[in-house]
Amino acid sequence: MAFTETATRPGPVDRLRDALPKLVLSPTVAIVAIFVYGFIVFTFYLSFTNSRILPQFGWVGWQNYENLFRIRAWDTAVTNLIIFGSLYIIICCALGLLLAILLDQRIRAEGFIRTIYLYPMALSFIVTGVAWKWFLDPGIGLEAVVRGWGWESFTFGWIKDREMAIYTIVIAAVWQTSGFVMAMFLAGLRGIDSEMMKAAQIDGASTFALYRRIVIPQLRPAFMSAFVVLAHMAIKSYDLVIALTGGGPGTATELPATFMYSYTFTRNQMGIGAASAVIMLMTIAAIIVPYLWSELREKR
Amino acid sequence: MARAVTNNRKAINTGLAWLIGLLIFFPILWTFLTSFKTEAQAINDPPLFLFFDWTLENYAVVQERSDYLRFLWNSIIIAGGSTLLGIVIAVPAAWSMAFVPSRRTKDVLLWMLSTKMLPAVGVLYPIYLLFIQLGLLDTRIGLTIVLMLINLPIIVWMLYTYFREIPAEILEAARMDGASLREEILYVLTPMAVPGIASTILLNFILAWNEAFWTLNLTAANAAPLTAFIASYSSPEGLFYAKLSAASTMAIAPILILGWFSQKQLVRGLTFGAVK
Repeated sequence: MAFTETATRPGPVDRLRDALPKLVLSPTVAIVAIFVYGFIVFTFYLSFTNSRILPQFGWVGWQNYENLFRIRAWDTAVTNLIIFGSLYIIICCALGLLLAILLDQRIRAEGFIRTIYLYPMALSFIVTGVAWKWFLDPGIGLEAVVRGWGWESFTFGWIKDREMAIYTIVIAAVWQTSGFVMAMFLAGLRGIDSEMMKAAQIDGASTFALYRRIVIPQLRPAFMSAFVVLAHMAIKSYDLVIALTGGGPGTATELPATFMYSYTFTRNQMGIGAASAVIMLMTIAAIIVPYLWSELREKR
Repeated sequence: MARAVTNNRKAINTGLAWLIGLLIFFPILWTFLTSFKTEAQAINDPPLFLFFDWTLENYAVVQERSDYLRFLWNSIIIAGGSTLLGIVIAVPAAWSMAFVPSRRTKDVLLWMLSTKMLPAVGVLYPIYLLFIQLGLLDTRIGLTIVLMLINLPIIVWMLYTYFREIPAEILEAARMDGASLREEILYVLTPMAVPGIASTILLNFILAWNEAFWTLNLTAANAAPLTAFIASYSSPEGLFYAKLSAASTMAIAPILILGWFSQKQLVRGLTFGAVK
């Protein structure tokens, strides 16, 4: 070790070299600490105050939370999130898995097709929402086109229907994301030990059994990532709803994020809005903390 | 015989994959085509596919009506500015964590990454109030900073995963050969880091370009980017199909081009590095 020689005389340059990594890391850590966690603490605090149009600092305890759960629109928003979130996750995973299995069959021009499947993901949810709004509009979209083809009694007016409008959001969101989920599963499929598959095939396992017994169990990590990514996207959903239905008809498609925004800025109820934000934060934390924890343990 | 069956099945699978691809791509394709039709042709029965009189009139109308170029310019400034700003702050941080890791590095990384998953509504009030105080509402500089802040964790994370792929032995070798820290960074590290940085820039540019929560809520007339432009067409107000299609084609045109090159980065970034 001829180099210990240089290490034994720590000059200012060496000390700089030692301190530099921490020095250059600190701005990023500070930014994240202040602008994300510091601000979240502030939101927490606001949710316990009597803030209306501007922040006020009169402590009201759990009042805002109690009020929040009495508001029917919040109830609708939470119910919608459960419907939307579960359908979105299930359908995306199912389609994503099927598409991944299809693309894994050594088909021609796979790279090109994969890119096509992924294309919607590159678009903004706002664009997706606006485009699907027209497609689903009974007057100019799908319904009008199919009627034009001669099927006069065809109706598809979900977007104007209070009961069904939430499902149009599922459709648009699934269109946007399933190709992306496909990519996650495809990466998982490519990581599966092909020897094991061959062995099972030689033993006479049917294709279905092969996938059910060998492939899908090995895709567990991919399912986990897909679930976490999709779940947090569902809870954060804001732009798609704003563009597609604007939360309507009425409040039929409000989600927590749109509820929070409208309660703050159109009804000037900052305290209640903050309370709803805190609940969303806690929900996401409940999903990602265990995930990150397991990631952390795995990689150590 | 067995071979023939495999080939058959392969052809069927390929056909099916193409069909699904067409189905997925159809809304984009149809919007694109419709934007070149006249309003009458747009609602023609039966629908016209390729054989119509291609016209650019819709684009002219949209530009005249809502000054597309101004929105486009705002999008470029905001997405580009926030990306570059983020990179400048994140490269040293990612470098530090990738090449001089400490016991806490993994924790710090995951902690940062967790913030990217949190909903924007959690920090809406403080940022909104701060913007009012500082007079940053509806300014490009304000939006640039906010988008940099919210995307910083993902930039750091992406850069970190790319930097980790650079073999540390090369750096050690350079150090042994007597390279100073400056030389090490300039001549050894930088050339190898450029592809990763470029990928990160591409991904982040798209994320910033598509970001809608903040751009819709913090801008009005002056700093509004293309997300606000397309949202303004959400209630069509006398515009019809062909013009709406032209508007959305204009809104997504840059992404349609960038999107083609960035699929890998998108998947990698949006899965938080779970898929490479």
